[in-house]
Parts: sequence; structure tokens; C-alpha cells
Amino acid sequence: MRIVVAEDLYLLRDGLVRLIEAYGHQVVATPTTGPETLDALLTWRPDVSVVDVRMPPTQSDEGLRAALAARRELPGLPILILSQHVQQLYARELLADGVGGVGYLLKESVFDADQFIDALERVAGGGTAMDPAVISKLLSSGSASRRLDRLDRLTEREHSVLGLMAEGLSNQAIAQRLFLSESAISKYTTSLFGKLGLGDDDNSNRRVLAVLAYLNNA
Amino acid sequence: MRQLRSWVVGACVGFGRACVVLLVSMLVPAVWAAAVGLWLWWGGNPWSWIAPFVWAIIGTLALARPVCRMFRSLVAKWTGHTIPAGYREPGPIVRMANGYWWNGYSYERTSRDAHRDQRLRTWWHDPATWRDLRFVALAPVTVGVVAAIPPAGVVAAVLGFSQPTLAARLVGVLGVVVAIRSAPHAWRPVAPVAARFLGASAAVALADRVDELTTQRADLTVAQAAEIRRIERDLHDGAQARLVALGLSLATAEKLMDTNPEQAKALLRDARVGAATSLTELRELVRGINPPVLTERGLVDAVRVLALDSPLETEVSADLQVRLDPPIESAVYFGVSELLANAVKHARATHARISITQDDTGLVVVVEDNGRGGAEVRPGGGLAGLRRRLAVFDGTCEVTSPAGGPTRARMVVPCASL
Repeated sequence: MRIVVAEDLYLLRDGLVRLIEAYGHQVVATPTTGPETLDALLTWRPDVSVVDVRMPPTQSDEGLRAALAARRELPGLPILILSQHVQQLYARELLADGVGGVGYLLKESVFDADQFIDALERVAGGGTAMDPAVISKLLSSGSASRRLDRLDRLTEREHSVLGLMAEGLSNQAIAQRLFLSESAISKYTTSLFGKLGLGDDDNSNRRVLAVLAYLNNA
Repeated sequence: MRQLRSWVVGACVGFGRACVVLLVSMLVPAVWAAAVGLWLWWGGNPWSWIAPFVWAIIGTLALARPVCRMFRSLVAKWTGHTIPAGYREPGPIVRMANGYWWNGYSYERTSRDAHRDQRLRTWWHDPATWRDLRFVALAPVTVGVVAAIPPAGVVAAVLGFSQPTLAARLVGVLGVVVAIRSAPHAWRPVAPVAARFLGASAAVALADRVDELTTQRADLTVAQAAEIRRIERDLHDGAQARLVALGLSLATAEKLMDTNPEQAKALLRDARVGAATSLTELRELVRGINPPVLTERGLVDAVRVLALDSPLETEVSADLQVRLDPPIESAVYFGVSELLANAVKHARATHARISITQDDTGLVVVVEDNGRGGAEVRPGGGLAGLRRRLAVFDGTCEVTSPAGGPTRARMVVPCASL
């Protein structure tokens, strides 16, 4: 895959590039400021890019804004946001277009290289990769409590399946995490989709997007 | 009928007040009149004016401050407008090692002498004393004259009606009309005149402001030092200790790599978990110092994040185009955070509403909840800390929280940049 890595801190940028190249992918550009990032995303149209939120010149949310602007230009351009902190607000903004191909993870998610590369590939394939912290906040946020009557009807197991699914995991991955069989997971998903009143879809990406849209609008 | 009654009551109250103003403002002139009377009575001797004159001077000096105090309290009582007196406070009196008492001006043999001397000197050096003297000279010819109109009308009426001639009766009728018409208004000049001539001088107002700022600076220094100590302790016990443990695990793993690769792997896994935990701790710490969203997005979005993360159902309405100075944003952000936390913890609210607006004076943030109320500002409490943080920017926080709710807090920060 051709990948853009936008990160202003040298140590992190270097580490990310080495990690990505170790898995046989190609890093095509490493912009270090907001405007450079937007430029690189639009010219290279990478298969996926890793973008930091806070970048020069203003040290505010330059990276995030560049990513959102690039996705407005090129809808569905796969972007994985890496940040020192995760915020519901940013997650909601990233998910607002409902197109998919987005990820939002804490920087320490790179500690588990396999999972990180897996998330990167998922985003490149049009899927999502959301940090568990964001998902748990989306599930429990004040405004979501309006939908609690619906979420309340889920069993504990369905609730955890919903959370993992919202993070962007496939049925297979959820089965591995929960030490259950894949068929058991698909049973849970069918029943929780029914309870939430969402149409089940064979395409797991579209299914995840439906869940995220549900949580985002809650 | 009711209108007539309220007018009559107004006129009677006004008449009473005019008489009081007249009486108080004529105290000093009365002393002088008595002195002149005494001089005329003694008469003849070319030096006989000296004693009454000295008496009048002493009387004026002694009466100036009480008269002014009376005017201030009358204005405060009648109009609700408090005029700051701005008298100089006497300093502390200390006993020196040699047994003498130092009162800031001189050494005295006894504590009583020191107090008396200090009182006199403070009074003499106080610019407010001269302002008071000017006012007692001014009062009779301004508010005194106006306040004299209704009583004068009554006197004219009484004198006029006691005479049998027509002209005298006409004068009496005129007196009644003047007295009735002027009664509700005659005392009113006392408020603006007192506000203009009895207020604290600019120098005294500045001195008060300096005192206020000194107190704030001291508070702030203490608060800042406590905050820095907390951060130091958190870093020392948290991230620093974890990094040491991390280094240890890595060193041990390196040692075991060849001899016991299984254990080395386990150690490396532990090290990774430790690194993740210390990152989480650091993130919490950073959020307490300065929330990242505040830096990245400014006040409005940071408050939106607070609202999203709060267990309350919270509405945010914001009308704020400009970014404020970071210290103000931070103070207001932590204020809203504190108020929301109170709404959850103490008021057991389920809904909250936050509005952020700007007007020509500054930033206005209102936080309302539907909880059980009863919040009060206690020294050392969260609301007192909130006020202290806002006071640095001359901001204020009013909390209305009747028992049973709802609670409404209004923070106002004047901003030159708006």
C-alpha cells in the first residue's frame, strides 16, 4: 500500500515509518504541517494515511482539519487519525459524512504492531477503526441516554459485541476477542440489529457504519 | 382613590425627609449662628469675637464627619445607593522593646496616648477630612436650601392665615401650594450631591484597588504553588516511577533474552502494558492542567466536549466568534466543568443547559441545571475557588440556587478583546 504519514514529532514519525515499512508497505510522503498534509493527501491520493491531530503552524487541530478537508474533496479517502487523546467530538466529526474509511486511535495503539497494521488495512479497505475509549463514550454519553431505552434492551453480551463492532472489528475478530465461535457472534449481531431496528447487511463495513451512524446520531 | 392615597403618602414621606435633610445640613450653620449670637451678646469689647470664633471652628471640625456619615446613611437608606466613605484606617500600634508605643507617627509612653495621638493625626492627614469640610460648607446652600422649601411653605401658610388681611391670606394659600407641590421632591437633590461630593477620592479608590489586587495575587500564588506541588507529586509517583519500572523490565529482558526467551517475552509484554498505563496517567494529568481540546479548538468546542462527556443531558448554545485569551478560556472552562460536576454530584440533576454569549461588556456564560438546588459559596469550596480564578480577570460568578432547585450560575468576564 502507498501510505502518507503526517506527524510533526521526528521520533514518532521515524518510528511509524519504520514500523509500516517493516510490514512491507510503502511510505510515499511525510508532511509535518497542516497545509503540507492537505497538499500531500490531495496530490498522492494514498491508499491510506496516518495523520496526527496537533501539528504546526498553529499547534491546534491542523491535522484533523486537513484530514476533514481532504475527505470533503475526495470522499472516502481512507485516513487514520492518531492522537495523544481521543474525543467524542472529533470522532463525531470524522464519522459525520457516513462514508467510512476512517480511523481514530490513540497513539499507544502502535504498541501492538499487528493490531495497528490490521486497523490500518481495515481503514484502507473502507472500514473503520475506532478507539475503544471513543466507543465506550459514544455508548454511554449523555445524549445517547435518550436512546438508552433501546440500548438497555441489549443483553450484556450483545452490548460488548456492539462495542467491538463499532470499533470496526469483523465478526471473526470479535469472536477471537470474546473467545466465542464466529457463528455465535453472527447470532448476537442479528439479534442486536433487530433490537436496534437497523437493517442487517452482509457487507461488514456497511454494517459497522450503520452502527456508528446510530451511535453518532444518538 | 388609591392613586390619591399613594400621592399623599409620598408627599408626607417627602416632607419628613426634607425636614431631616434641612436639620442635618443646618447643624454646622447653627453652630456659627450661635457663635455670632454670642459675639453680639457680649458686644463692645474689640476682642470678644475670638472665643466664639474658636468655638465655631472646633464645632465645625468635630461635626463634619458625623454630619457626612449621616448624609451617607440617609442616602443609603432612601435610595439604596451606597457611597463609599473612603476614610483612612489607622495602622497597627506596636509596643517597642524599650516599652514605648509606636503608632506609625510617633512614640508614646502609654498605649492610650498612642491611640489618641494616632486618631488625631490620621484624622488630620486624611484627605477625606477636607472633603467632608467642603461638603458641610456646601450642603446648606445646595440641598439645605432646596429641602427648606416645603417647611418654608408651611411656615408661610401658618403666618399668612394668622393675619386678617387679604394679602397675607393670599401668601398663606401660596405657601400651602408650594409646600404640597414641592414636598415629594425637595429631598431628592441630596442623592446626586452626596454622590458627587461625598464619594471616595480617586486616590482612595486606587488604594482600595491595590489592596484587592494584593489579596488576589497572594491567593493566586498560593493556589498556583499548590497546583504545581500536585503536578510534581503526580509525575513523581506516577509516570516517573512507571518509567523506572519499564527500564528495569527492559534491562532484565535483555539479560534473559538468550538464557530464558520465554520469560524475556513475558517481561517485554509487561513493559508494553506499563508504557500504556503511564501514557494514560499522563493524559489524565494533562487534561487536568490544560485540556487538549481547549488548545486545539477553543472554549466553545471544549465546553461541547464537556457536555458530551457529562452523564447529564446537556444542551450547549454558543454565540462566540472570537478566540479569547487562553488564560480566560481556561478559567471559564474549569468553571463550567466545576458547575457541571456539582450538578451531577450535589444537585443530582438530569438536565443542564449551558449558554455562552458575548455582549459589549464581555463574556457571559450561564450554566443551569434542574437539580435540587441549595448550592452555596463556602470558603475553601469549589465555588469559592471558581470565583477566585475568575476574579483574576475581574470576572464574577453569581449563583442562585434556592433549596429545591433549580440552580443557575452566571459567570461574567469583562474582555477588552471582544
